[in-house]
Amino acid sequence: MIFLRRQVPLLITLITGIVFAAQYYVPHPASEQMLTSVTKWLQIIGGFALVLGVSSLFQVHAVKIRRKEAGWGYSFVLYVSMLGTIAVGFWSNGKEAVDGAMTAFGWIYNFMMVPLQGTMFAILAFFIASAAYRSFRARSREAAVLLIAAVIVMMGRVPLGEYLIPISGDLSQWILNVLNASVRRAILIGVSLGTVALSIKIIFGMERSYLGGGKE
Amino acid sequence: MTFAERMLRIDRRIIFLVIGLCTLIPLLYPVGLPIKISQEVRGVYDHIESLPEGSVFLLSLDFDPASKPELHPQSISLLRHAFKKNLRVIAMTLWVSGTGMADQVVTQVAREMGKESGKDYVFLGWSPGGTAVIINMGQDLYGAFPADYSGKPTKGLPVLQGVANLRDVNYAVSLGAGNPGVEAWYVFGKDKYKFELGGGCTGVMAPGLYPLLRSGQINGLIGGLRGAAEYEILIDQKGKAIAGMDAQSATHLAIIVLVIMCNLFYFSSRNRARQQGGEVA
Repeated sequence: MIFLRRQVPLLITLITGIVFAAQYYVPHPASEQMLTSVTKWLQIIGGFALVLGVSSLFQVHAVKIRRKEAGWGYSFVLYVSMLGTIAVGFWSNGKEAVDGAMTAFGWIYNFMMVPLQGTMFAILAFFIASAAYRSFRARSREAAVLLIAAVIVMMGRVPLGEYLIPISGDLSQWILNVLNASVRRAILIGVSLGTVALSIKIIFGMERSYLGGGKE
Repeated sequence: MTFAERMLRIDRRIIFLVIGLCTLIPLLYPVGLPIKISQEVRGVYDHIESLPEGSVFLLSLDFDPASKPELHPQSISLLRHAFKKNLRVIAMTLWVSGTGMADQVVTQVAREMGKESGKDYVFLGWSPGGTAVIINMGQDLYGAFPADYSGKPTKGLPVLQGVANLRDVNYAVSLGAGNPGVEAWYVFGKDKYKFELGGGCTGVMAPGLYPLLRSGQINGLIGGLRGAAEYEILIDQKGKAIAGMDAQSATHLAIIVLVIMCNLFYFSSRNRARQQGGEVA
């Protein structure tokens, strides 16, 4: 059993890792055909991942409801809405509209999901303003630099700011294009090198946490 | 408690009210301040302008309703521009929760511009796999999307004539609110399949995409509501983005004033506390 649970996944990871890292540099039709096939597998696996995710969500919240844990009412609401949406989705054949007429699934999407998500995002503006007032203080030199940069960018990104302080637009662009871009690039390069290192460790079996920690 | 200390502990509902009023009043009484066009937005506009009639334009609407206020106006402007230029439009999404909204915006703009589904444009919908969909489309577009969103087989559609994969796309723009989005389209799409790529994103995401912009990995970037407003000016069609700019101006200014006030009160309290040998929270 250890062979199937440990060695086989490690072997598959080693072979596919090396083959598909090399594939990127081999433009031969056979190599391209292999990539085409494998990306189809990836899409199919992606579909199954969705099923897995939904079923896992069902399990987690079912346990909460059964044990009547704190906030189990929210889990119940989630259960009812998810089951309801799935049922209506199947009934409407997954379509929001048929021949221009809105289906029940479309109604749920347009009049429940769209406004709910929009509201969640919109109230962020209020909390950001409140948080900025309470915590955006020049307690140190670094905080003062951050504060000044933030004020310039906020001024430069809106017409009123550019109207009141005409140079704020150019200053804001300079901060975004030079200071921000160079720092972000450095972070990106660091993250990418880290990803390469981690990938090598996974391919060669040095990093095995993805196999899970079950009993052997 | 001094006045400064009282102001530092102001009820947050007062701040909410200020922000609410700063949003509402400019929407009711717009001022219409001039908006300067940035090079980033002009990059996308100029590239679409340079495309000859019949070129293939791919628009990936990679966002959900949460980002609708910023990315919906961008989608409308880009679609209007592409249809006005008589480009062949391939629309799709990598976000399952944005499928219905993407379908609505594409259908609405196409109808407004007198375009026909299957002939002038196609909405492919969503396919599972996230970034794998991009690779799959790069290898074989019909394998990734055998049918369009309405269920019609994609093979044989006049709009897709001569398009086998992403290599046949002349210009692609991803309007992304996260991952998968603009970055994924560069890493898994443009880098391998060599098509020109532009981006659009929410305001908070824009600074993170500047490295891609400066290195030429994307040739333009429409950032947030401001970017959408600039694009509306470029195509000379005023919409929701321009209407929202006054509100955004007012809220930005309100936040700046609040931050300055908070710092003034903070320093005043700190100086007072130092004189008395205490500490400010």
